[in-house]
Amino acid sequence: MGDNDQRSACHECDDYRISRRTLLRGVIGIGATTALFGTTLVQTAYAAAPVGNVLVVVSLRGAADGLSLVVPHGDAAYYKARPNIAIPATKLLARNGFFGLHPNLAPLMPLWKAGRMAAVHATGLPAPNRSHFAAMEELEDADPGSAARIGWLNRLVGRDSSTNVLRGMGMGMSTPITALYGPRATVTTASVDDMSLAGAQDNPRRTTAMRTTWGAAPGEIGRGGRAALAAVNAFAPVRASAAQPANGAKYADDDLGRALAASARTIRAGVGVEVIAVDHDGGWDMHTGLGTLEWGAMLRASQSLSQNLAAFYTDLGSRGDKVTLVTISEFGRRVKENANYGLDHGHGNVMFVLGGGVKGGYYGKWTRLAATDDADVPVTTDYRSVLAEVVTKRLGASTATVFPGFKPVTVGAVR
Amino acid sequence: MSEARAAAPSPAAALPATLHHTARTLGKPAAAVKAAVYQPISILAPEDLHLVNRFTGGWTPALGRQIAAAGGAAGWFAQQLSASAPDTFYQATAAWWTSNTASTSTLLARDRKKTEPIWEAVANYERWCLARRIHSERQVLETMTAFWENHLHVPAEADAAQYFRASYGKTIRALALTSFERLLQVAVTHPAMGCYLDNAQSTKKAPNENLGRELLELHTVGRESGYTENDVKNSARILTGYRVDVWNTWNVRYDPTAHWTGTVKVLDFEHPNTAADGQAAARAYLSYLANHPSTAQRIARKLAIRFVSDAPSSELVDRLAEVYLANGTAIQPVLLELVDSAEFRAAAGAKVRTPDEDVVATYRALGANLRRPSAATPAANQILWQTTALGMRPFGWPRPDGRPDQAAAWVSVSRMLASFQIHQDMAGGWWPTAGVTYVQPAARLPIPTIAFGDFVDHLSRSILGRPATWVLTKAACDAIGCAPTTTITAAHDVIRWKMPRLLTVFLDTPTHMTR
Repeated sequence: MGDNDQRSACHECDDYRISRRTLLRGVIGIGATTALFGTTLVQTAYAAAPVGNVLVVVSLRGAADGLSLVVPHGDAAYYKARPNIAIPATKLLARNGFFGLHPNLAPLMPLWKAGRMAAVHATGLPAPNRSHFAAMEELEDADPGSAARIGWLNRLVGRDSSTNVLRGMGMGMSTPITALYGPRATVTTASVDDMSLAGAQDNPRRTTAMRTTWGAAPGEIGRGGRAALAAVNAFAPVRASAAQPANGAKYADDDLGRALAASARTIRAGVGVEVIAVDHDGGWDMHTGLGTLEWGAMLRASQSLSQNLAAFYTDLGSRGDKVTLVTISEFGRRVKENANYGLDHGHGNVMFVLGGGVKGGYYGKWTRLAATDDADVPVTTDYRSVLAEVVTKRLGASTATVFPGFKPVTVGAVR
Repeated sequence: MSEARAAAPSPAAALPATLHHTARTLGKPAAAVKAAVYQPISILAPEDLHLVNRFTGGWTPALGRQIAAAGGAAGWFAQQLSASAPDTFYQATAAWWTSNTASTSTLLARDRKKTEPIWEAVANYERWCLARRIHSERQVLETMTAFWENHLHVPAEADAAQYFRASYGKTIRALALTSFERLLQVAVTHPAMGCYLDNAQSTKKAPNENLGRELLELHTVGRESGYTENDVKNSARILTGYRVDVWNTWNVRYDPTAHWTGTVKVLDFEHPNTAADGQAAARAYLSYLANHPSTAQRIARKLAIRFVSDAPSSELVDRLAEVYLANGTAIQPVLLELVDSAEFRAAAGAKVRTPDEDVVATYRALGANLRRPSAATPAANQILWQTTALGMRPFGWPRPDGRPDQAAAWVSVSRMLASFQIHQDMAGGWWPTAGVTYVQPAARLPIPTIAFGDFVDHLSRSILGRPATWVLTKAACDAIGCAPTTTITAAHDVIRWKMPRLLTVFLDTPTHMTR
């Protein structure tokens, strides 16, 4: 971070102060080289024993461009580095003196205005890693000191003696993500309807025969077979529930929409789900054709994201107060656009935190961007600090269990 | 492996007396009451079944006869590796779908006219791959084609790459048993890969890093080789020039004006790269990468994970890597070394079948024969949706690292339940129904009158290539409500309407779902 700190002469701080009087309220000891953005007020005590709270983690795979989603219009380098794809400040939503949201996030504005949506900028892995795959592994394993392939969501749902098979789920996917890998059994399913045993509805012998086959079957396949038979039972209330989204929620007709609709239905059915992982393979890896406000991949991806997240909270209604949703990417993208209206792999990114317990607004320390070919968004907040805040305050988990050896810093986005 | 799969002997008290009796007598061929009539079909020795399970779409009695005709598994494997082996099914089925033999301009025209949207053309290529994996006589070639198509992965839904996808796959197949260097040279410069990883639009002014990076990270040396971000940049620079005029004329050409010139260095590779035509530099670079020890390790490990176990020993990987390097990246010597290893022989049943492998194996196990698609929803087309239902069509993995190949990825609740559903659909002949020939229930009776226990053994040999175990026999009894001694004829419920229930007992097993 040394170089980045050097560059940060804090012009942006000045810009920001002009328009955002709340800047320094409640913030103590900010260094001269960085500024803290946020609506941090007085830290309120949180309820000691959260019950029935749910965490939904939406992974924006391929890596979203955080600078397009939450635009630092107050940083001149953003416009210098992106002559073709930068979004004009006048088009931004929820604009303050420094940041603004992509116009396609309009469906989320009711949540934003209600103070139920936070954007934490310049988050990411502690060191740059431009490989999708290595970055995803590191991000989701989240235990750099250990060679064991255990994901942070697996540690989270395995933190105590709970044996509910549906406590941790991957929704809308057939292959469990790395964050769910590990010794604690979790359930990954493509849809609600998939959670049934073919042939068992009208034939009780079927289940008996399957128990004979799978009861002592060895290896991973044996564990998989037994988990499937157990999960079908536990999931029955969800299958019996209404498939129609509630409160007139309108999801997009895409994978993310289906996964979030299934998640809301599962949460409503009260089967004890606590953690749901959802993937958004929404074409975020925009090396080419990220585009502008008239055309391109960012329009499509941001529309899907915002419409679906908004529909999810509409669907949940008042239950949404118990459900906290976090978005995450394996890395951010380069500051400077390439020759194809696209962006190569970068480092820092934005994380959105929505719903239950969220204190809305912009968060994160900002270091002035550079407009050079290789410039990244410098990471000032380890992504684990954001996640740690959610899992400790909302789920009552300990940071030491979920992120071994990690010392989080306070972000302030969750109460 | 059947020993490992069978449950440990249970206390006799847990076993119905009739079942206990049969379980014992089943172990003695040509014994017991019905033995005079029931003749078990011949199956392979366990080690040969293991080879077959790893290098084909799955056991069939017909395959057993081919292996016998070849003088055994080793002779059969050598035949399969030979370039001159007959390839009739591939040739005969290339025209089952127009798109698989069409040029890019034809694909474009058909896409524009909506006679065949491009996604459908790619879907047809995947269907052809699945049909070949079921029925091709070149089973080992199809297996290796699938391996390389996954290693050098270009997803089915990769926008511009779709117009070149079938061509890409056929190119890989033609080289799948040659050398990795030949494969790499052709794959990396192919317009499908260029379009997918953006090299087709890369310029000398701003080389696009996508392919240059994945070439190092995924296709060849891997991150452990220690390349730097500067190496990635140079990798991208070397590859500039292989252009496709996407979404316009679609011309594929090497454009010297787009090639970045100047000295390049990647790891220990250096090239002056002075010529505007950088193809020689690119060839030298790809050759260097293919022959790099880190690439040897990467390919060796990937082969070992595919064909041996999820966690192969470093000794085996090292040995395969040595053979790879000693033979100029030739593939066949590595495969022969692999199947000759004790580690391979000890790994029977240790791999979970991926979704596409499950569907292919299910067709083979049931003796379901695809026909040329002509009906509205023929099986040869529906088969793609069957793999989708299981969570992964052949080239559906959305990222360039190719679909995972270890058990943890393929034993999710969703996948297990979806497999059970597909097994039932096919056991009943309920989906797909058109363009496929299923074995009729009565035709599964080896003799007109047979004890249920013997019938289970017969089906186990036909479907799974091995004798019935105690657990399998018990599960069949549970599923149908028969005892092993129950007499089965064509008039019995098992034949008249319960056959789907019985067949799922064989398909919904760890045995069928592993290889």
